[in-house]
Amino acid sequence: MADWGRTTLELIVEELQQPVKLDASFERRVMVRVRRLYAAQRKHRGRWFGAAAAIVERPAWAAALAAGVVAIATIGILRVRPWADRAVAANGREPVQFVLVAPAAHSVAVVGDFNNWGLGDSALVATNHQGVWSVTAAVPAGVHRYAFVVNGKQWVADPTAPRSSGDDFGMPSSALVVEDSIK
Amino acid sequence: MSNRKTRSLMLVVGLAASVATAGAQDPRAGLKLDATTSAAIRAVVDSAKAQGIPVEPLMEKMYEGLGKGADGPRIVAAVRSLAAEMASAHRALGTVASADEIKAGASAVHAGVPAVELGKMKKQSGLRRSLTLPFTVLADIVSRGVPVSTAANAIRALVGAGAKDKEINEFQRNVKVDIEQGAPPAAAAETRAKGATPSAKPDGGSEIDG
Repeated sequence: MADWGRTTLELIVEELQQPVKLDASFERRVMVRVRRLYAAQRKHRGRWFGAAAAIVERPAWAAALAAGVVAIATIGILRVRPWADRAVAANGREPVQFVLVAPAAHSVAVVGDFNNWGLGDSALVATNHQGVWSVTAAVPAGVHRYAFVVNGKQWVADPTAPRSSGDDFGMPSSALVVEDSIK
Repeated sequence: MSNRKTRSLMLVVGLAASVATAGAQDPRAGLKLDATTSAAIRAVVDSAKAQGIPVEPLMEKMYEGLGKGADGPRIVAAVRSLAAEMASAHRALGTVASADEIKAGASAVHAGVPAVELGKMKKQSGLRRSLTLPFTVLADIVSRGVPVSTAANAIRALVGAGAKDKEINEFQRNVKVDIEQGAPPAAAAETRAKGATPSAKPDGGSEIDG
């Protein structure tokens, strides 16, 4: 019921922001693929895959191989999913993804008290994905104020975040509370 | 970068370098303000320090003003206003409050929430429960038109019922959507508070004057 009134695009953005979880059958499916690959290549290469056969046919070795495959696959996911930046977050900084839907924008940047409000070319430049602009940055734990700057001149508050109360110099800002995951 | 912003950055006097929280490694230390503005802000910062109030938010406000191209007097007024609101929140919350709670509490005070109400929430929630997010949401929904008394009662009920930050965030999003759909702000907050946690009682706790 909480979703009524949201646009489809907002729901898609929210879904994209969710972390990816590997289901329990992932390892089994990986092993099925490995066996199929082995069987197919065995026809062509004969003894070359003898060692692999020994691995697959021994449960302990197979489990070790599967764990390795899962680890490699997971590392691949970590490299492309922003949420996984948590793995490298340090010193009280946490990865935060900023998203603004602005199909007509030519550029979008994020400025806030965590990057000196863009002074000294510190603004975070967002990437355009068919009108959905996003950028992920490591932000210190704590409460912050920030805003989007569209086309280099228009200040826009994050429509999905709480408003920031306080003197905003006539330009809207949003509030962000970053929890320290280490605590 | 606008001419106005450029002029602000060209002005001389490195205030940041003189502030304890902005050390030699602070990339902001090279930014400049005019002497009058710098002196005025320095006085506010020194006063805040003497009162035990975190000064970093004051510096952040100064940089926000610079980043948004505000002139010196406007920046000084904003920093003074924030210092007063933080002092008010600090007095109400006591020494157990974190810097983030004081900063978030100041935003609630700016929105119109009596500081004494923040103190009540802190006492009710205990030392371990951070009220940074609840204060932030409180300020947000008040700014969206929820009466102060209704908003404070709702947040206090949620915190009292053990609502997590995630649930209070969801509460804020729901109230926002309801208001954008045309719901009366008070009705949206009262209704959503009831559903935010199984045990939340929006009419619980002491009432405050709206």
